Amino acid sequence: MIWTTLLILLGLLALAVPVAAGLGFLGLSLSAIYSKLPLTLAIGEMTWATSNNFLLVAIPFFVLLGEILLRSGMAERMYNALVLWIPWLPGGLMHSNIAACAMFAATSGSSVATAATIGTVAMGEIEKHGYSERLFLGTIAAGGTLGILIPPSINMIVYGVLTDTSIPKLYLAGVIPGLVLAGLFSLTVLIFCVIWPELGGRPTKTTWPARIAALPDLLPPLVIFLSVIGSIYAGFATATESAALGVLAALAVAAWHGRLTVTMLKTAFEGTMRTTAMIMAILIAAYFLNFVITSIGLTGQVNRYITELSLTPTQLLIGVIVFYVILGMFMETLSMMVATVPIITPIMVKAGFDPIWFGIIIVILMETAMITPPVGINLYVVQGLRKRGRIDDVIMGSLPFVFTMVVMIALLSVWPKIALWLPSVAAN
Amino acid sequence: MTVLLTGVRRLSLWGLWFGGALVLLAAVLIGIDVILRVGFNRSIGGADELSGYALAIGTVWSLGAALLDRAHIRIDSLYILFPTPLRLALDVFGLILFIAFFALVTWHGIGVLQQSVQASSRSQSALETPLVIPQTLWIAGLMVFLATGLVLLLQALGLALRRDASGMAKAIGTKSAEEEVEEEINALKDRRTTGNTR
Repeated sequence: MIWTTLLILLGLLALAVPVAAGLGFLGLSLSAIYSKLPLTLAIGEMTWATSNNFLLVAIPFFVLLGEILLRSGMAERMYNALVLWIPWLPGGLMHSNIAACAMFAATSGSSVATAATIGTVAMGEIEKHGYSERLFLGTIAAGGTLGILIPPSINMIVYGVLTDTSIPKLYLAGVIPGLVLAGLFSLTVLIFCVIWPELGGRPTKTTWPARIAALPDLLPPLVIFLSVIGSIYAGFATATESAALGVLAALAVAAWHGRLTVTMLKTAFEGTMRTTAMIMAILIAAYFLNFVITSIGLTGQVNRYITELSLTPTQLLIGVIVFYVILGMFMETLSMMVATVPIITPIMVKAGFDPIWFGIIIVILMETAMITPPVGINLYVVQGLRKRGRIDDVIMGSLPFVFTMVVMIALLSVWPKIALWLPSVAAN
Repeated sequence: MTVLLTGVRRLSLWGLWFGGALVLLAAVLIGIDVILRVGFNRSIGGADELSGYALAIGTVWSLGAALLDRAHIRIDSLYILFPTPLRLALDVFGLILFIAFFALVTWHGIGVLQQSVQASSRSQSALETPLVIPQTLWIAGLMVFLATGLVLLLQALGLALRRDASGMAKAIGTKSAEEEVEEEINALKDRRTTGNTR
């Protein structure tokens, strides 16, 4: 049963069938081959229940939030302020890039949006200050991936919904690893620039009055972060409610900068709903598939198969990490998550791993997938913004940060508290 | 055919605006609900239920636009290595499977709607929404999506008869990484310019 499933799935995906249709037809075929009951009959009820699931409402909210922020003029101001505050380290603006990505990530649930937004603002600085192009591009591609680790995060919502894990706890668990990973990214830049000072570019000069004057521009991201994550931490909003508050805060920021117009909203709607429809189509099919997989007992079979291998938890974890790093080179992250997480997470939980902690590990593995070729969406986003040279530069520049991410996973494995401490404090 | 296609495109754009407006309304409603609850210890009630309907309805009314814009994800790691005729055949195959899956969803969805009509079902909440209302809008959106898909399929087959490979690739091929990125950039530029015109 396991091999038939894998064969059909890989076959459909290799033929470039749309992922939603591929997962749906995998479900239909498995039901036809292995089920005595016609599971297909449930597809109507199931789709209706999935589509109006209150937890999933957070997804269009965060996409809309991002679309509004992108047009609000917030990112430019924020970046310019950070440039004044951070460039004294060896590596200069590359640290500002990472800081700006981390800060934007705290308002955005998507890594593509983070890399695209910060990349647009930062790209002009490479030549102005004589930076090594590769490493500079890498800081944007890798820094952008923080979008899904630092809450809010669309991938955490998907993980939470697929595995019945608390999304607020996942958010809180992502905060410290996100900051640590941003710090490690900076450390990576620092190490490179200490060894090869020519990578670092010319330092910019600023004055204290200019720095102080720029501080108000850091306020809007803070307001949005506090509305979204503060409301969850304080315990008065659920994940979806906090997302709605975030949308209101973003509308306020856009209005404050005088950017809130009907035309702007219409374009934001178009982007939001196109992405939402794409994500929901996949989730609808994934829900049906998971229902079939559970009904025909496939999950149990995989479980037995893994148990028979009698791996130690550490071996299992290493196996899972290697599996995702390799799969991540060839697959897009959302498809990868819906196809694998419902099966792998129960196995990991049974082996004694915490589901919240494992969610954070999965998110970091998705971040690696975004910057490993040939299919790494952030590589393409950054190369697209750059509009010259070869994508190899972006790939090479991002490579050091892939290692940084692996180090981060190792740290989390040795000290799970990095992720689990904040949710445990908030619960009390 | 061109008239039909233009009509379908315009309709799908309206679908996006309609869906987006529903989502925004839902966000505003929930936001007000939370603020009232925290600040004034009151609740409008039912905001969560209504926003669920907004998602269901908004999604199906936007499926068509996502299809026409080729926004539905396909894994093209292998596909890009194939010769053009095979790729085009796979494009048609993928499109048919996508439409067929949602045709099945629609078919059984109509069953769900019929049950709600017969039992005059209401939601189990304070609102007691007659489920017929959101479900009718939901099924209508699914049907419009199916019609959109069929028009696109006909157009693709028409192009195939005329041996117009590049037209076909433009209509139903995957967006090559390059093309996708170009769009992303243009969209960003658009955003910035529309953002700047107050």
